[in-house]
Amino acid sequence: MQDRERLLAQVFVRLADTLVDDFDVVEFLQRLAADAVEILGVATAGVMLSDGRGGLRLLASSEERMRLLELFELQNQEGPCMDAFHNRRPVAASADEGRRLWPQFAPAAAEQGFQFMCATPLQLRGNTLGALNLFRNDDTPFTSNDMAVANAMAKVAATGLLQQRSLNERQLLAEQLQTALQSRVVIEQAKGVLAEYLDISVDEAFQQLRRRARNTNRKLTELARDVATRNVNARDFQLTDR
Amino acid sequence: MTAYDERRNRILSEVGALEPGVEAGDIFDGVCRFAVEHLDLSGCALMLCTQDSTLDVLASVGAPAGQVAELQFGLGEGPCLDACGSGRPVFAADLASLDVRWPVFSGAACDAGVLAEFSIPLQVGTVGLGTLDLSRDQPGMLDAEHLADALVAADISMDAVLMLQRAEVGSDLAGLLRATGTDRFVVHQATGMVSVQLDASAADALASLRAAAFLAGRSISDVAADIVERKVTFYA
Repeated sequence: MQDRERLLAQVFVRLADTLVDDFDVVEFLQRLAADAVEILGVATAGVMLSDGRGGLRLLASSEERMRLLELFELQNQEGPCMDAFHNRRPVAASADEGRRLWPQFAPAAAEQGFQFMCATPLQLRGNTLGALNLFRNDDTPFTSNDMAVANAMAKVAATGLLQQRSLNERQLLAEQLQTALQSRVVIEQAKGVLAEYLDISVDEAFQQLRRRARNTNRKLTELARDVATRNVNARDFQLTDR
Repeated sequence: MTAYDERRNRILSEVGALEPGVEAGDIFDGVCRFAVEHLDLSGCALMLCTQDSTLDVLASVGAPAGQVAELQFGLGEGPCLDACGSGRPVFAADLASLDVRWPVFSGAACDAGVLAEFSIPLQVGTVGLGTLDLSRDQPGMLDAEHLADALVAADISMDAVLMLQRAEVGSDLAGLLRATGTDRFVVHQATGMVSVQLDASAADALASLRAAAFLAGRSISDVAADIVERKVTFYA
C-alpha cells in the first residue's frame, strides 16, 4: 500500500502540471491511462472525451491494439463510459452484470477477456468532459477504494485538461475539446500514412510514431501532423528506429 | 442508431439535404438558414478556405454575416481567419470585451451589430476545407444544444464541400450525405494509407474513399477496414 501511496503522490503532481507551453492533450491522457493501469492493477485503461455532439470519442488508451480501439468506439452507443458520462457518476460491473446493462457492448468486452469493468466521469465544476474507463481480465472486482482512487485521478485530470483559468471557461473548454478530438484524428491519419510507407500494420505504425516522438523529443501530435501531411520522410522511421 | 446519427439525420432533413437531386449550393444555403432559424443567431456564413488561405463565401444568411466575412478579409484578422489557419474552432462570445484577440475587427464587428462570433472549421484531422461562421447580435456563448447542432451542421457542410469536385457521385448528393457520417478511427487510418497510394492530399484521399464506398453501395468504414487489412488498394 505504501508503494501505491508514493505512486499516487507522483501521479497527482504530474496531473496538476499542465500549465506548460507545449501541452499535448493526447500525451497527457495517455499518461493518465498508463498511470491508472499501474496504480489500479487493471489490464487496460482508456479515456474518452465528449465530442460536443452527444457522443464520446476515444482520446487515449494504455494499449493501442485495433480491436481494443474498436471496443472503445462501440461505447459511442452504450457501455460504462456512456453511462458514467450521462449519469455523471461512476459505474462498475462484472462481465455478467455487463451483459444485462449493455447487451451489445458486453460480448465485445468478453471477447477481449475482460471480467470486470468500470468508468468514472471526468468532471470539472458542473461540466462533464468525458470518462476514464478501466478493464480487468482477472477475477478481482473493483473495490470502493479502487473507485475512490480512479475518481480522484479523473477529477485532477479534468482540472488539468482545462489549462487556462478564465471567466469565459465554457467557450475555452469547447475550443479545447474540439481541438483535442482533431489531434486524435491526425494521429490515426498518420498511422495510416506510416503503415503504408513501411508496409506494417497500423498498430505497429503507432509504436513507431511514439518511439520516434520520444527519440527526437517531439510532441506526438506535432510529429503525427508532419507525417499525416507527409512533411517528413516516413522512410526515416525504418532506418533510424528499428 | 447513435445520438449522433439521430442529430445528423434531423439536421440533414432540416437543411433540405435529403431532397432528391439536391445540389451542393442548396445545402450550403440550407445550412446557413437552419443555423439562423434554429440556433439563436443573427447571421451565418459558410466559407471556403483554400490552401493559399484565400477565402470565398459559399453561402450566407442574415445581413451582417456577409459583412462580417468581408470585414475579416479587408482587415486581415478575425475568428474565421484564425479558425481557417489553425483548424481549431474559435468562439468569441463577447467581442465588446477588452481582452479580445482582434482589436480592429472587434470594434468594426460591434459597429455592424455583431457582438459574438463563432467560427467552426470544416476539419477532419489534417484536412481543412473552410469554416462555418455564426454571428450573434448579443454577447454570450452558444448553449450546449445549439453548439451540438452547429458542430453537426459543420460536419454536414464538410462532407458536401469535400465532394464538390467529385463527378462520380453524380446527382445523388443526398444519397451520399445520408450514407456518410461515420467518424471511425479505421476511416482516418485508411485515409492516410490511400493518400500514400494515390500520392494525393488527405482531402483527396478521403473524397476518393467516400466516392468508392458510395459507388459500391457500402459503408465507408467497411471499405476503410478492407484497406487497412490490405484486401484492397487504391494504387493505379
